[in-house]
Amino acid sequence: MLPFALRRFVATLPTLLVVTLLVFALAKLLPGDPARLLLGEEATPQALAELRQSMGLDRSLPEQYGRWLLDLAQFNLGHSLKDNASVTALILEKLPTTFELALLSMLFALLLALPAGIISALRPGGFVDRLVTLLSLSGISLPNFFVGILLIYLFSVKLAWIPASGYVSFAEDPLKNLTLMLMPAFTLGIGSAAVMTRYLRSSLLEALSQDYVRTAKAKGISSGVVVFKHGLRNALIPVITAFGLQLGGLLGGAVITEQIFSVPGFGRLLVDAVFTRDLPVMQGMVLASAVLIFLVSFLVDLAYAAVDPRIRYR
Amino acid sequence: MTKSRILPVLALLALGSASAQTLTVGIDADPPRLDPALSSALVDRQVLNQIFDKLVDLDTDLKVVPMLAKSWKITNNGTTYTFTLRSGVRFHDGTPLDAAAVKYSLDRNMTLEGSVRKNELSSIKDVKVINDTTVQINLKNPYGPLLGVLSDRAGMIVSPKAAEKAGKDFGNDPVGSGPFSFVSRKRQDNITLAANTRYWAGAPKIDKLVYRPFPDGDVRYANLLSGAVQVITPVDPKDVTKLEKNSRFELLNYAGLGYQGIWFNVNRDVFKDKRVRQAVAATIDREAVAKVVFQNTVSPAGGPFPPGTPAYSSSIKVPKPDVAEARKKLAAAGKSNLTFTLLTTPNAINTQLAQLYQAMFSQAGINVKIEQVEFGTLLDRADRADFDALMLGWSGRPDPDGNVYDFFTTGGTNNQARYSNKEVDALLNKARATSAMSARKATYNVALGKILDDVPYTWVYFQRNLIGMAKGVSGIQPIPDGIVRFHNVSIK
Repeated sequence: MLPFALRRFVATLPTLLVVTLLVFALAKLLPGDPARLLLGEEATPQALAELRQSMGLDRSLPEQYGRWLLDLAQFNLGHSLKDNASVTALILEKLPTTFELALLSMLFALLLALPAGIISALRPGGFVDRLVTLLSLSGISLPNFFVGILLIYLFSVKLAWIPASGYVSFAEDPLKNLTLMLMPAFTLGIGSAAVMTRYLRSSLLEALSQDYVRTAKAKGISSGVVVFKHGLRNALIPVITAFGLQLGGLLGGAVITEQIFSVPGFGRLLVDAVFTRDLPVMQGMVLASAVLIFLVSFLVDLAYAAVDPRIRYR
Repeated sequence: MTKSRILPVLALLALGSASAQTLTVGIDADPPRLDPALSSALVDRQVLNQIFDKLVDLDTDLKVVPMLAKSWKITNNGTTYTFTLRSGVRFHDGTPLDAAAVKYSLDRNMTLEGSVRKNELSSIKDVKVINDTTVQINLKNPYGPLLGVLSDRAGMIVSPKAAEKAGKDFGNDPVGSGPFSFVSRKRQDNITLAANTRYWAGAPKIDKLVYRPFPDGDVRYANLLSGAVQVITPVDPKDVTKLEKNSRFELLNYAGLGYQGIWFNVNRDVFKDKRVRQAVAATIDREAVAKVVFQNTVSPAGGPFPPGTPAYSSSIKVPKPDVAEARKKLAAAGKSNLTFTLLTTPNAINTQLAQLYQAMFSQAGINVKIEQVEFGTLLDRADRADFDALMLGWSGRPDPDGNVYDFFTTGGTNNQARYSNKEVDALLNKARATSAMSARKATYNVALGKILDDVPYTWVYFQRNLIGMAKGVSGIQPIPDGIVRFHNVSIK
């Protein structure tokens, strides 16, 4: 297992370098002058020139990239143009919140998808299956912002059960934290739940029609053992892939969800950085998300290998 | 945090959350910089005004009134301003606010690297400390707008001790002498301030003031409805009627200082002839814009000075649309088939506005292509004069000079049209060198007559301040600069 993990890890390094180049180039390709945007309507040409110089924008592109890469090698992502805060510190401050949100929404997704997928695969075409299909299709189609606004309207404005926004860390007040996270986590998780239900249903359906399942049944093994041990274990492989992809996608979904529920996480920081052209923050965050997605796909591969030994020896 | 700054916070904790009154305010963006010298965003001012006192303030009629300065004298043909300061005022860190602190703050605004105040204070030659409570500002030449400028960030007095220690990071832990002191900030979530119980004008009526940013207007509104916040500013125009009909809330709707309209690049071939610019401006139905796009939450504009501001003149009328006149002017200029590009940003209101303009222009046979770019690019292209016409307004300043000078003088920093008219330059310079407002107003009106005829810019509407609040919140003064001063605000 370890050689596989190492091989897999080393293979990502050149890709990461390409990512740094892309991140740098993208930030440069964005229209608009960050100095102009920072100084706003009141900028004078002199103030603009001063700021451009202190931001290093007057240097050549290769030099800017080189300096940035050099800092990066020392885990220095630079300082926010907005308030001079360290980008690394900013990211570390925001990540736990977004992780909690992603974790809770994944929990929601699993709690919904596992039973729903299994039940509908066991009775394909039945009433429950058709209901689950309908619900999961709506779950995939409904955009995050719509579900979010709907929840706020229903539970905050009409029923006044849950505050529409706000954030308290788990360490500060666990109960309040969970109450406030309920709606955002549900909003973010509903799409993943729907996708995973669809995957689980079709892959379990396929697994249950395989010869080994028929053999197991013929040997007189109880149907519970057949479904969970023989069927589900094999059916889970594509579901793990889907899970990994969803986890990566959650970062993107979190941007919108955090905006709607005013959750002070990674996504809101990113939106803010984009709107204020806070280049160091933007570059640092895009890079951090790229690394995170690499990490997730790495872990997914490991999980794969654990479930299906054939993958390790390929 | 020094000991003296912890005290108010501890006092707050001791009171307990049951009796401590917290007011939460929803604003439209996370304030970028809480440093009077470095702040360039409008939203910063909402928070800065609670933390910092200014030399002078504005009242609801835009009159300059005493704040840290009890009184002032203008001598030497308007080049010497002598301020007498209130005595016994202390900063939140316990250090005394005296003439030396005032000099320090003004010098800091004029010299700090990246300071956005340099332009506003460029008329100052030097600042002299006469004694502890007297400070003198000497100008290079007479500059009438100075008091207006000092009623905003340029006149905010910072604690020299704290500013010296923090340097450029001062905005992360700002220390002033205002009614509220800075406690903490969590980016994109909240800025928390505590009442300054030793405030020279008496302790505030609320104990804690929390600002929370909600960039989305719907989310801001939903948070007011659900009770998560008690005040929101601004309210989206589309929510105004709903809020007015809801008995649990109140709406403050009053005139602001700013304007919105369209710039014409006078160097572009399409707009070189002023008759063409006059023609385009003549097709705009300003009443319709106010009604259709803004549900009458803005007022139609005919010039740069909103009603209620010192230089407003009733002789400058809001023009009525005149399509026949527009066609005549175009024909005379030989541009009967006029086509140009209108540059704007892609938010919902601007999109709607641009489309409405497009329809209005087309009545006179004018073809307009709408090009949408994000705000930074728009400013950038405005700087490089890379546009035909451009939708851009101004948040407004209490002194009339701030609404015209940089926009219409030759080479002015905000002169997007690249407009140049020697007579206008002379008039605007004369107005700025005069102290008496009545004389300045007359000069502005002469200058305005020429600008309105040349049409480098056409004014379309004046923004209004829209503040939503829960019933029970009282004491908010409708000061036209749109900043809510929370010193005397209370909640039932």
